[in-house]
Amino acid sequence: MNHSIREILDYRQMIVGLVHRDLRGRYRGSILGFLWTFVNPLLQLLVYTLIFGLLFNQGIPKFYLYVFVGLIPWLFFSACLTGGCSSVLDQQGLVTKMYFPREVLPISYVTSQFFNMLYCFVIVIAVYIFASFTAFTDNFQWVIPSPNFYLPLTSLPLLFIIQFFMCLGMTLFTSAITVYVRDVKHILSIISMLWMFATPLMWKLEGDRFAKWEWLFMYVNPMGGLIDGYHCILYGGTWPNFTYLLASTGWAILAMVVGSLVFSKAKKRFAEEM
Amino acid sequence: MKSKNNAIISAENVSKSFKIYFDKGYTLKDKLLFWRRNRHEKREVLNDISLKIRKGESIGLIGRNGCGKSTMLKMLTRIYYPNSGKITVNGRVSSLIELGAGFHPDMTGRENIYINASIYGLSKKEIDKRLQKIIDFSELKDFIDNPIRTYSSGMYMRLAFAVAINVNADILLIDEILAVGDANFQTKCFNKLRELKKQGITIVIVSHSMELISEFCDRCIWIEKGKIMGDGPTKKISNKYLEYMSKERNFASLNEQDRISIISEKNRRKM
Repeated sequence: MNHSIREILDYRQMIVGLVHRDLRGRYRGSILGFLWTFVNPLLQLLVYTLIFGLLFNQGIPKFYLYVFVGLIPWLFFSACLTGGCSSVLDQQGLVTKMYFPREVLPISYVTSQFFNMLYCFVIVIAVYIFASFTAFTDNFQWVIPSPNFYLPLTSLPLLFIIQFFMCLGMTLFTSAITVYVRDVKHILSIISMLWMFATPLMWKLEGDRFAKWEWLFMYVNPMGGLIDGYHCILYGGTWPNFTYLLASTGWAILAMVVGSLVFSKAKKRFAEEM
Repeated sequence: MKSKNNAIISAENVSKSFKIYFDKGYTLKDKLLFWRRNRHEKREVLNDISLKIRKGESIGLIGRNGCGKSTMLKMLTRIYYPNSGKITVNGRVSSLIELGAGFHPDMTGRENIYINASIYGLSKKEIDKRLQKIIDFSELKDFIDNPIRTYSSGMYMRLAFAVAINVNADILLIDEILAVGDANFQTKCFNKLRELKKQGITIVIVSHSMELISEFCDRCIWIEKGKIMGDGPTKKISNKYLEYMSKERNFASLNEQDRISIISEKNRRKM
């Protein structure tokens, strides 16, 4: 265990290189190029805000902000869920011809998606600061926020870390399984859709339903507590609920343990199974 | 006993078999519905192989197609793992099984050097230090900052070879890939390999070119049907191997009647 962690550290330049290659190569040849990193989530935001804001609105004020601050971290998670599973299989050429610690592949995939999310957070923070000058009322109104309003931002890195390891553990697990059973990819894209609606992204757990379903959406759903955390920090301007975060941390640790065990067991036969 | 300590590569009773699927189902549906498709036979590729390679030796692995030499090389590289037995490798391995791993066509030669070298496990600092040497060796000069999709295949291979050879590995594993570039560049590659050999780098070559092997390797290991048939000085083993192969060739060209008589002759002698 210790040995393999040291070896992965020896290969850090490979991780850096693959992440760099992915981030730079992804939008090569398209006209908007790197801008797609921002345009894509903004368009999704538009779709969700229109559909949920106009049709199924729960009466959440500043709905655009509510959706946006949850959507960006969610897109990171769902990219890992649906794309991360093929991170090993897609690199068939490397795996069957070269030796390197196989963990490098899922690690670089998750890291590259993570950086993608961080880039988007530049916009999230900008929108958040703009929105903090408007009041939570139906009528548009300027307000001056108190400086304390921004204090919870300092807890963002904690959420990032929990989410990163949750995604990494999950990707280690799915990418190892996918080499042996190829349908995992298709199953996961359905699961991802279901999971998205089972997470308070475009709706809010309120009133009676809150008491009744809190355990399910905040504790059992590993993403529930995290998304709630992002909502607290970037939408409500309050500190996240640390009990929820503790549950998410538990999920992240579980994912890492199971993921690395399964991966290290499966990796020896990767080259033969491809 | 002393030689045991010097072994840079050692394999003890290594066996490797592959499952050969008749028609492999990769998906869950295939696995459940057509479970009969998952019938496979076990094909033993290597059977109880033990060998020791000391530091600084140059070894040629020879044998006919499909005898298991490439599998052996892939196990030394740690791409495959043995089913039983143990392989120990002490030192950094650079395997020239495939050149240009991880090359991205849209990125420049220079950027690709960094990616390719990092897959050999080099850190940024180590690559920085070797960068000029690699560029010089590849003879790409001004082209180094062009995207490599604009390269000719020769330029591509030259760059790839330049990286692989400059990794400063303790062990070089080479699989039949020395047909790189034009005659001059090939000579340059061989000279570089000779130089590395002099520096005490351990080299293992898989090749069908007996010319290359006899010029380059001090020791030869002949694998036949997953077992070691011969291990010793190149001249002796390669002669044995060639003799064996030509006998077989002659045998194959005989007509049926003669074959039968030879086999029965052999059996009689055994009895």
